[in-house]
Amino acid sequence: MSDKQQHSAPGPAIAIENLQHRYEEKAVLHGLNLDVHSGEIYALLGGNGAGKSTTLAALLGFIAPSAGSVRVCGIDPVTEPRRARAQLAYVPENVSLYEHLTARENISYFLALADAGQGTDRRTDQSTDRIEPALQAVGLAADAWDKPLAGFSKGMRQKTAIALALARDVPVLLLDEPTSGLDPRAVLEFNQLLDTARERKVAVLMVTHDLVSAVDIADRIGFLAEGRIEEEQQASAQSVRFDLNALHDRYTHPGAAA
Amino acid sequence: MTPVHAEALLLLKSGRNLVALLLLVALSVAAVWSGSVQVSGQQEVIERVAQAQEEDLAAVEQAQAGPRGDPGYAGYYAFMLTQDPPPALAFAAMGLRDLQPYVLRVRALGLQQQLYDAEIYNPELALPGVFDWAFVLVYLTPLVIIALAHDLVTGEREAGRLRLLLSLPGGGVWRRRVILRYLLVVIALGLPLIVGACLAAAPMTGTAAMLLTAALYCAFWFGLALLLGSLLRASTTAAAAMTGCWIVLTLILPTLGNAVIARAIPAGKGIDLTLAQREAVHAGWDIPKSETFERFFSSHPQWREKGQFEGRFHWKWYYAMHQVGDEAVAEDVVAYRTSLIAREDWTRRLGYVLPGVGAMTIVHRLADTDQLGQFAYQDSIAGFHEKLRHFYYPYLFNDRPFTRADFNQIPRYAPRVQSDSLAVVSLLMLMLVAALLAYLGARGIARVSGVQ
Repeated sequence: MSDKQQHSAPGPAIAIENLQHRYEEKAVLHGLNLDVHSGEIYALLGGNGAGKSTTLAALLGFIAPSAGSVRVCGIDPVTEPRRARAQLAYVPENVSLYEHLTARENISYFLALADAGQGTDRRTDQSTDRIEPALQAVGLAADAWDKPLAGFSKGMRQKTAIALALARDVPVLLLDEPTSGLDPRAVLEFNQLLDTARERKVAVLMVTHDLVSAVDIADRIGFLAEGRIEEEQQASAQSVRFDLNALHDRYTHPGAAA
Repeated sequence: MTPVHAEALLLLKSGRNLVALLLLVALSVAAVWSGSVQVSGQQEVIERVAQAQEEDLAAVEQAQAGPRGDPGYAGYYAFMLTQDPPPALAFAAMGLRDLQPYVLRVRALGLQQQLYDAEIYNPELALPGVFDWAFVLVYLTPLVIIALAHDLVTGEREAGRLRLLLSLPGGGVWRRRVILRYLLVVIALGLPLIVGACLAAAPMTGTAAMLLTAALYCAFWFGLALLLGSLLRASTTAAAAMTGCWIVLTLILPTLGNAVIARAIPAGKGIDLTLAQREAVHAGWDIPKSETFERFFSSHPQWREKGQFEGRFHWKWYYAMHQVGDEAVAEDVVAYRTSLIAREDWTRRLGYVLPGVGAMTIVHRLADTDQLGQFAYQDSIAGFHEKLRHFYYPYLFNDRPFTRADFNQIPRYAPRVQSDSLAVVSLLMLMLVAALLAYLGARGIARVSGVQ
């Protein structure tokens, strides 16, 4: 993991203030406020239509918000999308890379595209200085590295996508429903990966439906409903980090605690 | 690894893309080879006919030329060879050379009954046309482009990779992908053409203009693919839409256009002129010879004083009758030629809006194998025929014997100078249409965002 890009700007790595957005007549975000600091894992929970995907789209610079501001490491993704994207790695839901390429080739391909945008001349042997350590870090068996993704399980694909994010070595990680469809063992392995990211001072924003997964790994959990954070909970320093029962009630009856 | 290397790896490791490109290479090579074989075949025919012609002429000389040789018989039996050797770029675009005669033996009698004397083809066999580079370019290359580009964006969206791709800081993914595919397609088409052109010693400018035409035509189809890919959300819909465009633009509209042009500009057939001339000649037997001579002398006044002869038959009258037959259908010949030129003009104009027709027009003009090339050959035959007639007339009208020395003075046909040219307006229009589609495609792609 050479060339690590540390988030050196003051303040949170992800900063969203009073974010509002509409799709034609339909308002999706109503004044969302959210920040994620380096080395923190933030789980954004919400049901369908709560605005999770729109939040990610705003961070990626895919949409121009109707009002409010979004900053990734202090950079506005709307006005400077390339610079902002150079600071983050995004792992979409239902990871789908190129089936006819191997895991190594897939990472190499996406790294080449990402490096071009970062103005980085990394023409050294990627397999030795970035790709293989990333593949090792995600725990993908070495004998699978040079096999086409067509034969991979969902967990293996997820690991490959996470390896790509790690190889990019960026200060912000955006995860869209990262544990969706993973078996319990793969979820545990995934959580270990996020621990590694936290240790590396990466700011992680994971958008999920999965309360249990969020409880297991997140440092903070925000409940997104009707386009704003209705409630936020910080993990305690105790062995029981969150009160799962209370969170469950909050999640399934959003109006109760509001 | 640079982004270009990465895109090349992605493209060439895809079985479908690789097969499409290899297929295009194979088709292009096969087309150039097929065209070259046809050109060689035509050259061999010309050489064989030329050899047989010499034997034929030697026999006629033996029989008809001598101290008491009759120029009428000599001119009657001495068919002279005219030939239109394949132009250097004919291997790439055979045009009308598969149907129109490229070897014609003419004598000093009526030209119009000889000019359309060609082999009879089985129309069903001739219907598919020739398999040449121009065919691969205009009809088959768009299908390869459809295979390579129909799902450029939609495929990524369907596979769930679009957001991931767009989340990367590097821009220009689509630009690199399109340019890489575009270059590979142009190279797949161009390399065999260049090799064929080198082997045929074709002019560099003509070859370069053909390559430019191919590049523009491919740009049009890639632009269309990008435009449809940016407007439609499903790969199958995009593929169906592009295939529909291919059917409409290369098959239906050109066919309809040709039908409309043919209906709007009626033109007979060359064989009609042959029959009309023949009828005029046959009628000449039934009218007074003085009448025939009068018509002949009005266009050939220099022989007016030489029209007398004894007996019922004289070759000078016979040759005059044939020439009068030609002159009798002269207006029909002009009308026929005018109609064909008008059709050619309208077909060229059709090519301004139909890129396939435009590309065909350009490459056939460059190869000099189109209707204009055929006219140029016919004109050179007409010029030679006139020379031949005027060679015999002094012998016929002065009642001079036709000796072997005279026989050896019979004019020989010199092949026409090639009339190939660049259809500048067609090329500019193709450039315009290709640039428009490329712009619209690029603009459509630029609008693609990760929002789904």
